[in-house]
Amino acid sequence: MSGPVERAAPHVPVQRTEEPDLSTEEPDVDTGEDGVSADAATPGAPLLEVEDLEVHFPIRRGVVVERTVGHVRAVDGVGLSIEAGGTYGMVGESGCGKTTFGRAVLRIEQPTGGRVRLGGEDVTALKGERLRRFRSKMQMVFQDPLGSLNPRHNVDMLLSEPLKVHGIGSKEERRKLAVETLDAVGLPKSVLERYPHEFSGGQRQRLGIARALMLRPDLIVCDEPVSALDVSIQAQVMNLLDELQGEFGLTYLVIAHDLAVVRHLSDRVGVMYLGKLVEEADSESIYEHPRHPYTKALLSAVPQPDPEIEANRERIILKGDLPSPANPPSGCRFRTRCPWAEDVCAEVEPEWREAASGHKVACHFDL
Amino acid sequence: MALLEVEDLRVAFGASTAVDGVSFAVDEGKVVGLVGESGCGKSVTSLAVMGLLPKGRPAKGRKASQPVQAAASEPVGPAGGGLKAAAAVPQAAPATGRRSRRGGGADVSGRAAFDGVDLLSLAPAAMRRRRGRDLAMIFQDPLSSLNPVVPIGRQITEVLERHRGLKGDKAAKEAAHLLDRVGIPDPTRRLKEYPHQLSGGMRQRVLIAIAVACAPRLLIADEPTTALDVTIQAQILELLKDLVDTEGTALLMITHDLGVVAGLCDEVNVLYSGRVVESAPVRELFARPTHPYTIGLLGSIPRLDLGIHEPLTPIRGSIADVIRWKDGCAFAPRCDRVAEACVAGEPALRGDLHAHRCVRAEEIA
Repeated sequence: MSGPVERAAPHVPVQRTEEPDLSTEEPDVDTGEDGVSADAATPGAPLLEVEDLEVHFPIRRGVVVERTVGHVRAVDGVGLSIEAGGTYGMVGESGCGKTTFGRAVLRIEQPTGGRVRLGGEDVTALKGERLRRFRSKMQMVFQDPLGSLNPRHNVDMLLSEPLKVHGIGSKEERRKLAVETLDAVGLPKSVLERYPHEFSGGQRQRLGIARALMLRPDLIVCDEPVSALDVSIQAQVMNLLDELQGEFGLTYLVIAHDLAVVRHLSDRVGVMYLGKLVEEADSESIYEHPRHPYTKALLSAVPQPDPEIEANRERIILKGDLPSPANPPSGCRFRTRCPWAEDVCAEVEPEWREAASGHKVACHFDL
Repeated sequence: MALLEVEDLRVAFGASTAVDGVSFAVDEGKVVGLVGESGCGKSVTSLAVMGLLPKGRPAKGRKASQPVQAAASEPVGPAGGGLKAAAAVPQAAPATGRRSRRGGGADVSGRAAFDGVDLLSLAPAAMRRRRGRDLAMIFQDPLSSLNPVVPIGRQITEVLERHRGLKGDKAAKEAAHLLDRVGIPDPTRRLKEYPHQLSGGMRQRVLIAIAVACAPRLLIADEPTTALDVTIQAQILELLKDLVDTEGTALLMITHDLGVVAGLCDEVNVLYSGRVVESAPVRELFARPTHPYTIGLLGSIPRLDLGIHEPLTPIRGSIADVIRWKDGCAFAPRCDRVAEACVAGEPALRGDLHAHRCVRAEEIA
């Protein structure tokens, strides 16, 4: 907003596009960022590290003089790390804070506490122009593909815009990159002149993914990437996300309410309840041996497409609804709906402990 | 005889056909599923049975200023209503003064016999008397189905007054009882609340309470849990199951979720492009899916009980890739097993208990 806009290109790993000119329109002034991306390319090292992230929204009352009367603790101390090239799945029900968490990681939402590091760079400390330029490394795929695409922009404009914003390439180069990206998501070149309303839901989501890919980011946060799509299309998009991960060396944070979708996409899964993680493990073990009562209930509630399983399974039906995140229950936040709750649950908040190797849980009991 | 027998139901909006000859039956105390993706005609089918579709436009050249006369001389489905013309009741129409709408509306034909009476040929007033009393419906989005400026108690007593003649305290007491029945705690207090004060699951419970207020014999649920979280979905499905088991209500369940079907339904009809492509008892359908579309749907779902990262086998293309049923199988453009026979004319629904609409079913199996 202030000062002349630097037209320096951010470091975008464009090597796969065979278009080395793109990132050298002007020399990269920030040498620090170069080192960052080099780290990000090392497989196995954590690309994203989140420590104790908090997003509290103030509740304001009053007509003339506004007072803050409390806080909605949408995200209340969540920490995790994702390896480069890995996929972390965040599950939870509506209102648990998973979307806010994803947005706070990308600094779309301002965290009120905690720290986010992407490839070693402290994202939470970035400001102004540096933050704006850093955003090219982290992109988002939204739930509603129609709502997140400008209806008055054709595909060419939609895909070129991120490059324009970051001052990358000439018009022709941007177009070439757009065509390559469209090809990667399985859309023909001919769609460049078309507008979002001309596409089906699945194609729109492909466009949304293509737009996120345009800057060749390191991290993509997918917020409910398939929940607005029909079943047969969901599978197409999930397979596409899988393929693109290999092709572009992407790291995903997948946020979804559908446990089967998350299990399919992720290496590691975290379960959120009322602003906090209650369990985290490799996707295999969290589904085989869920340890937190909430995870157990969630898993037992997912209807499975098999009448034999459905007829014989024991379902844990939770009572009531999610409590208000403005006034979470004392002690363990899940205790008001937990079938196993005891007195201690109301008094002491369970610690976030490693119950087995790589399997963390916040519960007083070993269930 | 089944409680609801739908035969050769057809619904067209202008030139586009949404439902193209759907037949199925729902027995008392049974749950029948209509499954399919968006645009397959499952919701339109349910709306047609409930008589909730806007009526078809009058024949060309008629002035809009004479709607009542138009109704008098016109059977319900003017354009596509060949089958229905004889069954329609022109005598009943003049009294009701049904308003025809221009530019829109549905042409409905076929038969939907409820306890022997064809609902499609009932006059609007007669249908109104049955709707809410004999058959009721629950919609997907509970917030937009409830009146936002009327307390929920009043929205329940409205039904009780109209169909059961209950008034005042009696109606309020019954409303509280109904809320209690659908599992809403502290029902007397809740009666005074407005829809926005309730959570999504609560609102859906209120809708169910309204729907079951007159103990209908048939309940139609159109994606009743799609807008809800899984734990709340489990609560609502449990409630529906309980209603069917204890009251013997017949339930027509419309959903896209094969998991919900597996847990709730007794019989399943899979719809594609306005037609039933496969219908079978639930266990049979999941054990031996026959139509490539059903097989494709099952292969598209990530499952919790299978190995991790098991690759999904999606159906290629989208629902827009379609051919007309009379030219061949509408699913042929997306089908991996397509052969010449598939596009050589209209495929028939074959089989009795386990019916399918695939000319190559024997080869595929």
